[in-house]
Amino acid sequence: MIGFSFLAPVFLIGAAAIAIPVLVHLTHRQSKDAVRFPSLMFLAKIPYRARRRQRIRHWPLFLMRSLALALLVAAFARPLLEDVAASAGALVSARELVILLDRSHSMAYGNRWERALAEGREIVGGMGADDRATLVLFGERAAAVSQSTSDRAALLAALDAAELGYEATRYGPALQLAREIVERADRPRKEVVLISDLQRTGWDDQQVIGLPEGAELTVVDLSEKEALNLSIASATATRSRTADREQAAVTAAVNNHGTAAIEGLSVRLLVDGQEVGVEKISLAPRSSGRVRFEPFNLPGRPLSGVVRAGDDALPEDNEFRFVIAKSDPVSVLMVGSGARSGTGNLYLRRALEIGTEPGFRLTERSLSQLTLADLGEQRVVILNDVSYPAGTLGRRLGEFVGNGGGLLMVLGRRSRPEGWPTEGLTLLPAKIGGTTDRSAMGGGTLSYVDYDHPGLELFQAPRSGDFSAARFFRYHRLELKDSARALASFDDRAALLAEMRHGQGTVIVWASGLENFWNDLPLQPVFLPLIQQLVNYLARYVEPRSWYRVGEVLDLSDGSLGGGAALSAAAELVVRRPSGERVLLRPERESHYLALDKPGFHEVRVAGGSGEPALTVAVNMDPLESDLAALDLEEIVGTLTYEGGESAGTPSPVQLSAEERERRQGLWWYLLVGAGILLLSETYVSNRLSRAGR
Amino acid sequence: MRTYGFLDPVVLARIDNLELLARTVVDGFINGLHRSPYLGLSIDFAEHRPYMPGDDIRRIDWRVFGRTDRFYVKEFEADTNANFIAILDISRSMDYTSDGISKLDYGRYLAACLSYFSRQQRDRVGLVTIDSDVVEMVPPSAKHLDIVLHTIDRISPGGRGELEVPLLKIAEAIKRRSIVALISDLYQEPSSVLRALKYLQNKGNDVLVFHVLDRAEIDFPFEGAVNMEDLESGERIPVVPERQRQKYLELMRAHLGEIARLLAESRMDYFLFDTSQPLDYALFKYLSRRESLSRVR
Repeated sequence: MIGFSFLAPVFLIGAAAIAIPVLVHLTHRQSKDAVRFPSLMFLAKIPYRARRRQRIRHWPLFLMRSLALALLVAAFARPLLEDVAASAGALVSARELVILLDRSHSMAYGNRWERALAEGREIVGGMGADDRATLVLFGERAAAVSQSTSDRAALLAALDAAELGYEATRYGPALQLAREIVERADRPRKEVVLISDLQRTGWDDQQVIGLPEGAELTVVDLSEKEALNLSIASATATRSRTADREQAAVTAAVNNHGTAAIEGLSVRLLVDGQEVGVEKISLAPRSSGRVRFEPFNLPGRPLSGVVRAGDDALPEDNEFRFVIAKSDPVSVLMVGSGARSGTGNLYLRRALEIGTEPGFRLTERSLSQLTLADLGEQRVVILNDVSYPAGTLGRRLGEFVGNGGGLLMVLGRRSRPEGWPTEGLTLLPAKIGGTTDRSAMGGGTLSYVDYDHPGLELFQAPRSGDFSAARFFRYHRLELKDSARALASFDDRAALLAEMRHGQGTVIVWASGLENFWNDLPLQPVFLPLIQQLVNYLARYVEPRSWYRVGEVLDLSDGSLGGGAALSAAAELVVRRPSGERVLLRPERESHYLALDKPGFHEVRVAGGSGEPALTVAVNMDPLESDLAALDLEEIVGTLTYEGGESAGTPSPVQLSAEERERRQGLWWYLLVGAGILLLSETYVSNRLSRAGR
Repeated sequence: MRTYGFLDPVVLARIDNLELLARTVVDGFINGLHRSPYLGLSIDFAEHRPYMPGDDIRRIDWRVFGRTDRFYVKEFEADTNANFIAILDISRSMDYTSDGISKLDYGRYLAACLSYFSRQQRDRVGLVTIDSDVVEMVPPSAKHLDIVLHTIDRISPGGRGELEVPLLKIAEAIKRRSIVALISDLYQEPSSVLRALKYLQNKGNDVLVFHVLDRAEIDFPFEGAVNMEDLESGERIPVVPERQRQKYLELMRAHLGEIARLLAESRMDYFLFDTSQPLDYALFKYLSRRESLSRVR
């Protein structure tokens, strides 16, 4: 039941003005001049009773005037529509709705998205006058696209504007946002409606989602009993080099998420739009397989590759895009003690020569052969058990490190650091405190490795490298400088590996030689990746990514992306998105972030440059989004916890939002228009009556 | 069927000269009748009746005696030189007009026409103007037509109207049987009117009553709340015509009906005119009555 209250009730005093037409119609306006009449003998006989005199004449006119006045008064008093029934029961019936609408790309399967929008509209349509709702769209992230409002038109407009995304599903952020909204809400009933395909991959079993006590979670399940989907989960390239040629063999992982077996599925590889290989694969239900394509040569420029297979109701994941380019080997200058045939550099050389991801371009020099020119293009210098070069070379080496180069100092039996020049000692992360010989006791072992260090984190996982098997018989005792950091220590707490920043570069010192003489580490499996990791770290090598996931943001100012110096220095960049849309970025104004919001190839060009893109970025859907297996409702309910909240179960007066109040008091416009129409009609009728009277 | 080209009183009102006005009306009226202007004179034979002792022997018709050997007396039409007195009510209420001419003007024209016409009949004409008393009196005489017309011409509205006092005075003043025509709006109770007229009738006068009203007094066509002012008393009362019209009309009808009934019962002639009616129409009414009254038995 609808009732009224008034925002400006003082204007209701004006209702007294209704007395004016009453008086006018009761008292009968009399002519100012009396009408002379021969005799009033008859008129005087006619009873002229007050009651009769006070009868209202011209009822329609009187009603029009009174109603017009009443409407004017009511309009000025700003009537406020109130739901009387709601005001009686508002404390118990008003709801705060949070509609969580899944816009992840799995909702593109079949007609899920259309059904989701229809469900959303139905929920909005079923809202009561005092209900408020917030529409939250979520994929990996959740965002409220409307403020909490009771304006159903606004909510429907937000639903109409909602677009399907390419993100993966994550329920955690959405439910967390819903919780925050309902906790802030003042409505006594709180309801969270989840409209989703309930994709299992989006549910984190470990995450505890809490809702305020009394809040209800309603799930609108849009999943099908049987969802067939085929996807390309990944495409990796294995490189091989022969002489000056580099080849890549692509291996694609194909997943069958359906319950039907797939026989003889053709998987195609396209490079730069040209099909370079087709492989057949058969997949059992809910299984995955791999196909390996024949290797192809890598030219100097990057290649855009696509692996494509099948066709189903979710076509986006039937393609997998990648970009592959000839690798850029890390140049390393190794300064050893003697000839190449010697064993001093053997293990180091072997460790670096077999590296492919990345490759290493190794240059070996003896200390005596070392020239300034050798430092030119190097990214890492290894002083392998030699003294620090004196003179100009020493200073240039210091400058090399200061400018960002990496320096690995291997201290062994020939390095004799006590005789190093000052520049060398300055670069050294530690003072050398003599040599420790533990050969009599079978050698020492490593008791501490800093697995959090970027150069060593590879070995953090179990069975990822065993340092404990290595025995260290002799080593220099390092007394670390304040700015140095120990990366690995012996069981006697002496540091084996220490790091120190110098300028923009990094210096790492190894205290026990790398030639299978003071220790047997070179014979351990962990040796090879250790050396490669340390060199990569010193070279600040970052493996270029062949593809990105939808939702990631690319920093185009990062030189490691592969776009070259031109990309970093460009004033303006033009990005061509997969849809063909072109976006202008101005890195100097810090707009150098590229949001990868759609799958496909994003091409970045320097504005005004040549036609070839400076950088091509392949973007794919999150492979997890391809798994359409649905979550059991009970799992969701079981995971949810309810917490006592301040507002839970404690009804409070419903506070209307400003726009809601404005909407409810908008009645005054209609009253004003009604009054205007009545006054116009009154003028017309009055004129008619006046003419008839004459 | 007789047809008359009646003259609109409004048109007549443009004639300043009252005599000319009266002559225009009366002559036009008479011409229309195609009758002798001397109707009613005593030259017309009426009937014979047996001689009664006391009758003038000169009126015995000897020719009839010669044929029948019986004495019969000849009877002729009415005598000549009857008195005609117009009593004109000049009270304030007569000075009313809603459209056209006022009742007083209409009464003036009517009195002039009747006087002129009577004079044409060789009657002696007189005039009395009254309000609540006798205002002016012109005794009937064969030579007083000019005075009568002049007096009528000078009439201005008087005070309150009252019939009894002046009519009583007139009745006492008239020494000879007369034809008395009262021209008034009769705003008195019918019984009071009758009582006043009886003074005249009881003196042997033939009484004719010309009741003159304005059309607005009969139809009461007013609209809107008004204050109405009594022309005579100056009293004002608020009136809502829409509400009171019906009752007014009922009262007016009852008033007119009662007057007509009482006068008819008293053998007085009563004519109701509204000021839009032609004057010669009034003359026609009068003449019809005059003819019937002129027989002398």
